Amino acid sequence: MSKSNSSNKISRRSFLKGMGSGILSTATLTTGGLISKEAAARILGPEGETISGRTVITLKVNGKARRVAVEPRTTLLSALRDRLDITGPKEGCDRGHCGACTVLMDGKAVLACMTLAVDARGKDITTVEGLSQDDSLSPLQKAFVEKDGLMCGFCTPGLVVAATALLKENPNPSLDDIKEGLAGNLCRCGTYPKVFEAVQTAAKIMRKGG
Amino acid sequence: MTGWKSLQDMVVLSKPLPRLEAPDKVAGRAKYTQDMHPKGMLYGGLLVSPHPAARVLNIDASKVRRLPGVKAVLTDVHPTGTVRYAGEEIAAVAATSPEILEDALELFEVEYEVLPFVADIESAMQENAPRVFANRSNIRDARVRSEGDVDAGFANADAMVESEFRTQVQTHSTLETHGSMVYWDGDELVIYDSTQAVHGVREGIAKFLDMPVNKVRVICKHMGAGFGSKLQPGRYTAIAARLAKEADAPVKLMVTRKQDFLGYGNRPNSISKVKLAATKDGKLTAFYAKTYGTAGIGTNAGIRLPFIYDIPNWKHEHYDVFTNAGPARAFRAPGCPQASFVMEQLMDELAEKLNMDPLEFRLKNDSNPTRQKEWRLGAEKFGWKRRNSIPGADSGRYKRGMGLAASIWWPGGRGTKATMTIYPDGTLDIKCGTQDIGTGTRTYMAMVAAEELGIPMKRIRPMLGDSNFPKSGASGGSTTTPSVGPAIKNTAERAKSRLMELASRLWGVPVAELVWNGGGVQMKNNASKKLDWQELCQLLGTDPLEVHGEWVEGLSSRGVAGCQFAEVTVDTWTGRIQVNKILAVADCGLILNRLTTESQVNGAILQGISYALLEERHMDPSTGTMVNANYGDYKILGAKETPEIEVIFYDEPERGVIGIGEPPTIPTNAAIANAVYNATGVRMRELPMTPDRVLTALASRELAGKED
Amino acid sequence: MVNFEYFEATSLEGLPQLLGNNRNENVVMAGGTDLLDLLKERILQPKRVINIKKIQELHGIQNGRGLDIGALTILSDIAKHPAIRKSYTVLAQAAGSIANAQLRNMGTIGGNLCQRPRCWYFRGREYVCLKKDGSKCYAAEGINKYHAIFGGSPCFIVHPSDSAPALMALGATLEIYGPNGRRAMPLKDFFQLPEDNLMFENRLAANEIITRIRIPEPEPGTRSLYIKFKEKDSMDFAISSVAAVLQIQGNRVRKADIVLGGVAPIPWRAKAAEAELQGKELSDAVIEKAAAAAVSDAEPLDHNAYKVMLTRNLVKDALLRLRSA
Repeated sequence: MSKSNSSNKISRRSFLKGMGSGILSTATLTTGGLISKEAAARILGPEGETISGRTVITLKVNGKARRVAVEPRTTLLSALRDRLDITGPKEGCDRGHCGACTVLMDGKAVLACMTLAVDARGKDITTVEGLSQDDSLSPLQKAFVEKDGLMCGFCTPGLVVAATALLKENPNPSLDDIKEGLAGNLCRCGTYPKVFEAVQTAAKIMRKGG
Repeated sequence: MTGWKSLQDMVVLSKPLPRLEAPDKVAGRAKYTQDMHPKGMLYGGLLVSPHPAARVLNIDASKVRRLPGVKAVLTDVHPTGTVRYAGEEIAAVAATSPEILEDALELFEVEYEVLPFVADIESAMQENAPRVFANRSNIRDARVRSEGDVDAGFANADAMVESEFRTQVQTHSTLETHGSMVYWDGDELVIYDSTQAVHGVREGIAKFLDMPVNKVRVICKHMGAGFGSKLQPGRYTAIAARLAKEADAPVKLMVTRKQDFLGYGNRPNSISKVKLAATKDGKLTAFYAKTYGTAGIGTNAGIRLPFIYDIPNWKHEHYDVFTNAGPARAFRAPGCPQASFVMEQLMDELAEKLNMDPLEFRLKNDSNPTRQKEWRLGAEKFGWKRRNSIPGADSGRYKRGMGLAASIWWPGGRGTKATMTIYPDGTLDIKCGTQDIGTGTRTYMAMVAAEELGIPMKRIRPMLGDSNFPKSGASGGSTTTPSVGPAIKNTAERAKSRLMELASRLWGVPVAELVWNGGGVQMKNNASKKLDWQELCQLLGTDPLEVHGEWVEGLSSRGVAGCQFAEVTVDTWTGRIQVNKILAVADCGLILNRLTTESQVNGAILQGISYALLEERHMDPSTGTMVNANYGDYKILGAKETPEIEVIFYDEPERGVIGIGEPPTIPTNAAIANAVYNATGVRMRELPMTPDRVLTALASRELAGKED
Repeated sequence: MVNFEYFEATSLEGLPQLLGNNRNENVVMAGGTDLLDLLKERILQPKRVINIKKIQELHGIQNGRGLDIGALTILSDIAKHPAIRKSYTVLAQAAGSIANAQLRNMGTIGGNLCQRPRCWYFRGREYVCLKKDGSKCYAAEGINKYHAIFGGSPCFIVHPSDSAPALMALGATLEIYGPNGRRAMPLKDFFQLPEDNLMFENRLAANEIITRIRIPEPEPGTRSLYIKFKEKDSMDFAISSVAAVLQIQGNRVRKADIVLGGVAPIPWRAKAAEAELQGKELSDAVIEKAAAAAVSDAEPLDHNAYKVMLTRNLVKDALLRLRSA
């Protein structure tokens, strides 16, 4: 992933205009023992990778590697929704205030609208679509259905993902733990009481190994 | 035609059933307008005015048009060129990616002549204030309503209270913003819209675009809530249609969160100067109110006073005030939460003056027979007797209190048509041009049919949200369920008749000798002669049976009563009001689905708490713009503000179906305000009751000394 | 967001040279939660965004004699860290009070110290305020219920960080990497008032980044806590917060560190309150006096006088709780 690929507009130190081809690197300067790594970096800039313009990257979403063309400024949410047609994560505010775009990244709940797509490379991304296999819902999803933890349903994917992360971390949450864990998910219809019931029910079932 | 079965006889209806689309919604499969993405679709966006009042002198879009990826540009979307609020649509563009769209919107060069404005109701009411409409005063003529002889009513009273109350502008802030995805299929326009009214949008857009109605189709399978803000056709939809035409490609145009705050709906504020009087035995004699409210550049900022109590003599003068702000739209029980805030607090103040318990005072002045029972039931369940007898008597930092308030609602069912298609294999479709805005419409459509026909839910596919389906009204005013429920029942009854005719022909006996039983038909006098559902449907041969039905009188009614009780804890050090519990007694006639009905009541209460404690549109005085047009600064209740809620349904199945979406949001704010007074002895006369206001009110009482 | 170039750095060396001296050209991205907001509103329109998350030495918590926290440590890791919860309670509580679970999984401690103010005039593109080279502070006469009651003039922002008051009360020092290598800067010297610099809330140079945060080991008898008052409990910034660290010996306060959040353009040390506590027993009277002293020099605006009462009460609450801790 971190390999340079100029056709992809991913390159090492492309910002160093006129520094030539990339043959010159900190390693080449320093392995010869000519100057210190720090001094070399002062000339060459830090090690790393540059992406500019429209670029094809690979994202690992719901267990599958997906190639997607993005710009550096493309958010993960936009990459998922607008490019990969993975529309479970919703855009409620596009500013990290509502939690409707919550996804799991390496198992942790994060906001896709406040993550750059290029910054999500190499991570395991799970959207709400990845929580159920084919038609079989997770115990938590089933509990949302049975307890009516949704009304218009627009915030629901975010809530389901946030609650999934919560239960993973804390299989036996108190009501206050649930409220804290879901405090970043705005539901304008006001389904919270039923959501709390759903999470408690699912926790019970999952603790029994359901 | 028959009425509804009794509750005991119901097998499916009135039970708590999960909504049918829930699996799709929890798995992320349900597609909302925002999720639509046909091949070749362009991203549409609006350029809106940053100025609250201005004339558009020139729009230079040449740089926009030169940007690669821009496929259509419109610079004539504003009807007059005179801007009256920040957020008005000025220009529009469609581009091949969201990024190009964003860049394109930066490239418009608009020349404005900036005009003076009025940012809020106070400045609009001042003499010589800039006018919102050049030829009209900012203060509209009074609307005066009255009954009896107010002067005599006050003259004959033993006690009177007089006060002023204020409520804020609240925005709908639905999680899915307003927007459409549209495409042209030849000369036909197909619109996916996040709407509460597929038929209304079809008619409206046809008019906007000067098209035949039958060439416009509006679809809304799932939508991210409305609360009244999505009842009307959107200018953005017409704009999207024009962009799509120009670009010859589908266009999705969802307004941004900020635009949604500015231009697409709010609940008007209110200033109420009021007087209420009663005799010493506690009978109300007179009420007077002078009220003001701003619906921005719109009208109907009224407040539904005198609310619910029996007042023989009253007068209410109301003035709409224009301001340079986005127009109000219907918002869950328009005019009512404001009225409850005013009247229920005034009732408490008068009760205290008369040395009466607020509950007792209400029972004396509320002749609604249902509410009479509900007040008592609620008080009993809530433990009203535990209430502080002396407001604010608790010592210490945290003070607890209880309050109550009433709700009311009027409309009932109305014209709705439906079609049922029964297939020879025993499955059936129901089509109705209503929409499910999160209220469980789809689910009870199937429940009503299943109950009536006596067949399993899984054979039934309820279909809605399409203007090609038989007409139903907008999902607003709590009219949907009392409209759609009866229409589906009527359609199912007709289907039954038609199927019985088939059996009658097969057996060569008159229909009168047949009876419908458990999903099939049998002879009245010979139970062994029968056809089950499957066999009946097979009689159709290869032709599905199509049956049309409609809303009929007798299965629904109007008028909702209800009441709520609140217990709060006020932290006198921080001014934080914590709601500990809300108990709601709600009647809504025959409940079709107990689970989704409960969700609706919960949601209404939570919106009421949010209105009471948090939400407020802030308009900057120096620029006339909304400073908190985002979900961070416009504060909406979340998980941690959600208290314990107990909902008691006061079943009145004999009244048929009645809507419940709106009434339970009405009393919550007032029940909380009354509880705050009971806790602290300080009356909050302005919403929202945020810590700054609470602390200030507590401090000013301390300064004034305990007068009460 | 403008179309920027993205650079993912894997080493510190050379980073200052790349960052250069123009803050508007190159911006550093850590958790990104604040940065993306500024980019989306086009308050920042950089040429290049430099993601530093891949620089390994900026990660990790080391707990030995004192605490050494990598600047890229995410807030949820700090909030949940057993040793921090035990011995640096104020910091764990502060980190746990920030935003919501999702944002705490993204936001970093270094980023939290550097986050920009939430003033709605600063955040709103339509207001060309002092911080954007404009000629007036809109908050001064506008809607200022959330604004500064201390140190405001001429710009009345409040510093939004919760971790900053906590770290300041704990006597933290920053390790900063710049063109001349590493240097240490006490956190108390890090922030600057608008009267000193209108544009930036801290003294980090354009070509520097915070690499680590070091906290001395607490003296015996130290107890601490963070109280954050939000208008809305589910995710909000502080209207006022108190980070209090007391070292108590015998019955007396040997050392008091009280830093207020959400009330001034920088984390605001309540020096007068600290002085009131010094060497005293935590009696009710002393606590009342210290709480009053904490706000004695407050200068509220039209709509935020309540913050004075609120802050006094929060200080009192903090001291009462520490007394019984």
